[in-house]
Amino acid sequence: MLLVLSDEHKEHLGFLHEVDPSVVGEFGRIAVEFLRKGSNPKIYEGAARKLNVSADTVQHGVEGLIYLLTESSKLMISELDFQDSVLVLGFPAELNEVLLQLYLDNRKEIRHILSQLAPTLPQYHNLEWRLDVQLASRTLRQQVKPTVTLKLHLDDSGTQSARVLQTDPATLLHLIAELERALAEAKTNHCRRIMRNIK
Amino acid sequence: MELSESVQKGLQYLADPVHFDLKTFTAFTEVAFQSLISSRSECGLDDPQLKDIDQTILKHCHIATTTFILESVKQNADKSAISSCLEDSFDTDRIDVFYSSYQHHKRTLENLLESIGRSPPHITDVLWRLDYCIKNSHVHKVNQPSYLISLHVENDDSGGPPKEVNFNCTMEQLQDLVGKMKDAAKSLEKATQS
Repeated sequence: MLLVLSDEHKEHLGFLHEVDPSVVGEFGRIAVEFLRKGSNPKIYEGAARKLNVSADTVQHGVEGLIYLLTESSKLMISELDFQDSVLVLGFPAELNEVLLQLYLDNRKEIRHILSQLAPTLPQYHNLEWRLDVQLASRTLRQQVKPTVTLKLHLDDSGTQSARVLQTDPATLLHLIAELERALAEAKTNHCRRIMRNIK
Repeated sequence: MELSESVQKGLQYLADPVHFDLKTFTAFTEVAFQSLISSRSECGLDDPQLKDIDQTILKHCHIATTTFILESVKQNADKSAISSCLEDSFDTDRIDVFYSSYQHHKRTLENLLESIGRSPPHITDVLWRLDYCIKNSHVHKVNQPSYLISLHVENDDSGGPPKEVNFNCTMEQLQDLVGKMKDAAKSLEKATQS
């Protein structure tokens, strides 16, 4: 699968041809950094002064790189397809090699960052538990009531939250049995067949 | 067991054959227990067997008796404790009638009293769904199994209807979750054996 680059995108990336490959490497580093932490326009101005071009040109160059990296990572295109895709830019081989290396080195991390954007429910993070026996309360003395307190830590797109829940021993065993059935289901022929065939 | 003057007075009315013969006493005792257990809002004092009794006295006795019942259950009172409270005014027959009703309903009342009070939402059940995520708008070729877990919880702080706690997890995360629950279950088992 090849990437289809728009004319505007090609024009923005065209700037990379005018600078030293080491500068492209630096732009690549900045692009990945911005993907991790968000963009910082001050960097564009600093780089523009050094290279003696407008800040907009630098910004377009870096954003063009960001788009190139995110699109290729999103589609998980192969090494060969990436090389063929950037061929249309007409860059020298050395520059194409810098771009390919940038893609291969950061693909995994970028896919991880992108996957966090996908719509999802809070994700399981951790479970802590505590066993108690309720012995007395204002309304009733001399009790023996075992309870299991569970603290469920969830991760909602980077924000962690925790819910404190309670259950009784019988329900706990029921929960375990039911969730074990869920795990066993993934090993059935039906599920394995689907997972094997959709690649 | 310490009882207020008003409760003692109510119990004295109840012990008095002028107001309650043994038959109405028996009917009344059952009504008092039922009014605590049943989820209906009315207290059952309109029972035909009680219609000849003065309403003021009837209500006074009802409050006194239900208070006495709750206090006895709360303290886990045995027959001798109950007898010693009642023996001044009650004859043996009435103590026996009361005590047999008390024994009959004690467990239910204990459960009721046990459940009063604030506690974290109680998990009652779990639903799960297994998905195989193929792609989304941000990443293609995800190809990962993913579980949707939905815990049913009751008795939320708001006291509203049953709610759910929903979350996603990968297979490894679900294994982790089940592993931790099993640790808890194992510890519970050990605790009950020792």
